[in-house]
Amino acid sequence: MPSATPDIVFAGLGAASGLGYGKASLIDGLLAGRDVFGTLQRPGRQAPEGVAPFLGIEMAEPPSLLTARVERTVGFGARVAVAVVDEAWREAGLDTVAPERIGLVVGGSNLFSREQALLARDYAARPNFLPPRAGHAYLDSEIGGLLANTFAIRGFTLGVGAASASGAVAVMQAADAIRSGRVDACIALGALQDVSAMDLLGMRALGALGAPRFADCPGQACRPFDRDHDGFVFGESCAALVLRRADQAGPGYGSLVGAAQVADGQRGPEPDGAGQRRAIAQALVQAGLRPGDVDYVNAHATSTPKGDDVEAETLAASGLGHAWVNATKSVIGHGLAAAGAIEVAAVLLQMRAGRLHPTRNLDHPIAPPLRHVIGAAQPHQARVALKTSFGFGGIDTAMVIRGAP
Amino acid sequence: MDRDTILAVIVGQIREVVPELADRPITESESMAELGLDSIERSEIIMNTLEAIGLDLPMVQMHGPKNLGELADLLHAKRHA
Repeated sequence: MPSATPDIVFAGLGAASGLGYGKASLIDGLLAGRDVFGTLQRPGRQAPEGVAPFLGIEMAEPPSLLTARVERTVGFGARVAVAVVDEAWREAGLDTVAPERIGLVVGGSNLFSREQALLARDYAARPNFLPPRAGHAYLDSEIGGLLANTFAIRGFTLGVGAASASGAVAVMQAADAIRSGRVDACIALGALQDVSAMDLLGMRALGALGAPRFADCPGQACRPFDRDHDGFVFGESCAALVLRRADQAGPGYGSLVGAAQVADGQRGPEPDGAGQRRAIAQALVQAGLRPGDVDYVNAHATSTPKGDDVEAETLAASGLGHAWVNATKSVIGHGLAAAGAIEVAAVLLQMRAGRLHPTRNLDHPIAPPLRHVIGAAQPHQARVALKTSFGFGGIDTAMVIRGAP
Repeated sequence: MDRDTILAVIVGQIREVVPELADRPITESESMAELGLDSIERSEIIMNTLEAIGLDLPMVQMHGPKNLGELADLLHAKRHA
């Protein structure tokens, strides 16, 4: 008999970012601290005339894995999702799992706004000729539908929206689905957030978007925990993590031993230290660990002044001042819906590599002091990692990951 | 625009929507369902054809034809109505 509450392991992962497609490009680029920032160029995402350009990172076209007939009907973010799930699926050996025992949780909402803006532009003058697929493909369920149509997923598909914490919440929901016995394996996808120019203008108006100070040197604009940080910088990304029962899949990359999501009562972007501390404390209690057991923190760290300040206070106040800290967004930008998932992938790959990537542009760390990885990759075999992810709307999450023995 | 030109537009749209049919001969006695097209593909092909031949008609008026030849006849008749 399988145990009632199985241990959950990460059995496979797939990733795509400005560093390239595949886990090797992600870990190599992170450890090298590659600079791939530039100006956003994708149609529907460029700043209108007279407005300062948007800085960020865009990725290459995904490998062509669908038939030509299907591919022509599928948007960019959905094709990227197929690529990362294909990588994770094969690594995790999901072909050996009964399709009815495989689930999928897609993290992210409003995933296609750039493509919808292009449709609105292209069909404004000929609305009767809008392609019929526009009637279903505008829904975020398009990703789950396409993935289950492409891969043998017959347990369930589900979408979860938690703003910038969506990818992290997808991982937690996938773990819950396995623990509850609903499925034996579950894919958590941090979906590509295909932002439109309007989305970016809104976030600029909100004061969340970085760049004014570094408009001429995009590579320096994203600087989490640095005193000159002035806002987040968007970066396209997408990642899939395959969670499985340890008793069926072996140790994989490591185990999810604690996870917590709390509501802190904020409506908009305001970070809330009390909520963040509560999420971290709950995740550690669930893991049966103390703060002193954590030796690596992959921070949410978006490079917004308020967000970084509050998170640094949170980490110090949570007794994590001794642990190594880095900010993956300093290398790949902020993928919004995808962030929490690709940053979990970054944790797992760093654990396997025995090295931690540097936080780029961290010239003058803000207070309170944390043990930042600065300048070059740090040799360190992380045993217990904490991953924080926070989202607009008062969403605070923390996950505790124990490395494979 | 004569009826055979409209038929050629339909066949061209079929090959656009289903690239796998690029090299397969397509005759007017065949239906789109027989060619393996699903309902969304069939709708897209008809809408693309309507736009290509300059007809702005509700899709509901496109029901009835049993094969590509009959569809071309119907579109030809609408265009010259």
